[in-house]
Amino acid sequence: MEVFVFSLFNGALYGMLLFLLASGLTLIFSMMGVLNFAHASFFMLGAYFAYQIADHVGFWPGLIVAPILVGVFGAAVERYALRPVHRFGHVAELLFTFGLAFVIEEVVQMIWGKVPVPYDVPASLNVAAFVWQGLDYSAYRLFMLLISIGIFVALFFGLTRTRIGLIIRAALTHPHMVASLGHDVPKVFMWTFGVGCALAGVAGVLGGNVLGTEPGMAIQLGPIVFVVIVVGGLGSLGGALIASLLIGILNNMAISYDFSLYPIFAVLGVEREADGVLADLVNLTTGGIAPLVPYLLLVLMLIFRPRGLFGTRDV
Amino acid sequence: MTGLVVGGFFAVVNSSANAADTIKIGLIEPLSGPIAAVGIDAQQAFETAAEQINARGGVLGGRMLEIVPLDNAMSAEKTTQQLKNAVDIGLKYIIQGIGSNHALNIIEFINKNNKRNPDKAMMFLNHSAVTTAFTNELCSFWHFRFDANVDQKVAGLVTQMSRDSSIKKVYMINQNYGYGKSFQAAAHAIIGERTPNIEIVGDELIVPFGKVQDFTPFIAKIKASGADTVLTGNWGPDLVRLVKFAAGANLPVQFYTIYGGLTSSVAGYGADAAKISLKQVNEFHENHADLSADSVAFADAYLAKYKDTWYSDRQRWLIEMLAMAIDKAGSDDPIAVGKALEGMTFQGPLGEVEMRASDHQIQMQLMVSTLSGKYARPIMYKGNDFHMAFASDGVISREDTTLPTTCDMQRP
Repeated sequence: MEVFVFSLFNGALYGMLLFLLASGLTLIFSMMGVLNFAHASFFMLGAYFAYQIADHVGFWPGLIVAPILVGVFGAAVERYALRPVHRFGHVAELLFTFGLAFVIEEVVQMIWGKVPVPYDVPASLNVAAFVWQGLDYSAYRLFMLLISIGIFVALFFGLTRTRIGLIIRAALTHPHMVASLGHDVPKVFMWTFGVGCALAGVAGVLGGNVLGTEPGMAIQLGPIVFVVIVVGGLGSLGGALIASLLIGILNNMAISYDFSLYPIFAVLGVEREADGVLADLVNLTTGGIAPLVPYLLLVLMLIFRPRGLFGTRDV
Repeated sequence: MTGLVVGGFFAVVNSSANAADTIKIGLIEPLSGPIAAVGIDAQQAFETAAEQINARGGVLGGRMLEIVPLDNAMSAEKTTQQLKNAVDIGLKYIIQGIGSNHALNIIEFINKNNKRNPDKAMMFLNHSAVTTAFTNELCSFWHFRFDANVDQKVAGLVTQMSRDSSIKKVYMINQNYGYGKSFQAAAHAIIGERTPNIEIVGDELIVPFGKVQDFTPFIAKIKASGADTVLTGNWGPDLVRLVKFAAGANLPVQFYTIYGGLTSSVAGYGADAAKISLKQVNEFHENHADLSADSVAFADAYLAKYKDTWYSDRQRWLIEMLAMAIDKAGSDDPIAVGKALEGMTFQGPLGEVEMRASDHQIQMQLMVSTLSGKYARPIMYKGNDFHMAFASDGVISREDTTLPTTCDMQRP
């Protein structure tokens, strides 16, 4: 029972970081219909900007300035690159963001080099908030948790309870009507994209010093973010939250309990003493394949419920 | 008159020795792509070593060594392409070391090439690809390894662990692919043999190369197991994250690693490095007390030229031993040079190293050292000061790192 509660908590901590990253992507997708392949690259930019700012003036200014910089860069990308591409359809947009991810990675390597940069957790928060099961939980990890919850609440209410949210949502389904009412629809899209990127930037500022800031970080995290938004349901903010928590907790439990997968193979009549490829299979444990669990979830979701947990339209 | 003729004769010899007769050595490494930094570091090392030999007058009485960089971008197809390219431009020597899968590719290619074209034989000088099989069941006359293999490195780590009586329980974490599994197998065998009183309380294989983002559940399991030491072959993000999460949770263990001291990893730990005890096994670090003067001089020259701390020493002795073998053979014919290399000894940083004739595996001393904030000289990289460096724990003698081989070599 203790292990259960413990993994639930650890999984939720990781899950909320995933949510932070996925929230911007889901915002961009649900409000603009653009599937942004370069989303994790904006996350990486957030981490590198925060490192650079922290190096000169400390962590706290970086927490504010880095996401703004990423957001402005994102808005500029939308205005000057994505918008002209938009009229060629979704495939063109997809290919553009796909290419952008490579360009950002190369530029990051040119500026900051190919080895990781020492972006550290701020000393003021790098103290144990509490000790559980012999492990320290730093104040910083709780701070990350609080910010993630805060962003979920702000986005949720911002989109469903405010006038701006109303206009953004209307612009997706009835762009001409919204334009006739005197709103600048392209500008709405530009700032939505910017805010989505800024959210990825926040995730980068908060996650970069925990996961490590290096040129490969975008490629490593990119796929999992797509799992989150597909499992949660494309465009559903609540779905992204639930899917993030689900993936975080499943991942944690798979490693903590570390069940052998042998019983599955025993049913198929495979001997325990098999050799070759079979030996690798019968010796598999859930812990050994934990990082693959989200992708398994993705495949199952696409087979049995293509619209995801809370989605309103099919993938 | 006679003097003039003799002078003219030497001038002819010298001019022919300059451009046409340089001995070209192909270096196949990732010089572009995500791990280009590691490949470029190796290129700088080999070029520096070759320049030093050239400055002393080259080999065979005046022929210069030239390193020809061949980029494989860490892709298997490009390694094969570059090998074909090397055949076309007539290279007799290939150096490689980053990635055992590429090394295996080169061994197989050269074995085939030398069987088909015995008059155009090529030799493979391996500086860092550590898969033990290359000098056991896969051994080849054309392959020479100048680095300790995985089994030797694990033997070094375990021997050092046996000297610390506070180590009782060890947790193993490795990457689930060829290298990680051979680390795991070697650790089980050597711990059982040399330190039977140490208990292995955990043994994990993880999906490799950055797929694991959150190490918290592993940290929790290590804590629950009561382990005092983590023994890991992990490298890259799989090691950096393990260390950072352990530091963040204040996990009271020490880490015994092979690649914990790579510059890219040390850069990644950041301030967390001060909170953990991280050890590495290799052949050299510049703050060790009794190093050979040649190794120190090389490290100083390298630092002055590139503003990088010299991390290993094997690239230097690879080139030096190749040059000695060419001189000893009296030609650059790979068969003669290969035979000259067999059993050759050289003064390494900690004493004599020897290219064992039976399997072409170098036999060498190793040292285990700890990353520390107290140092004579800090680790520098591209002019940046890491405010960290290695401090020696102990030297592992050649007797302790010499392991038997199963190699049954076919000689030409």
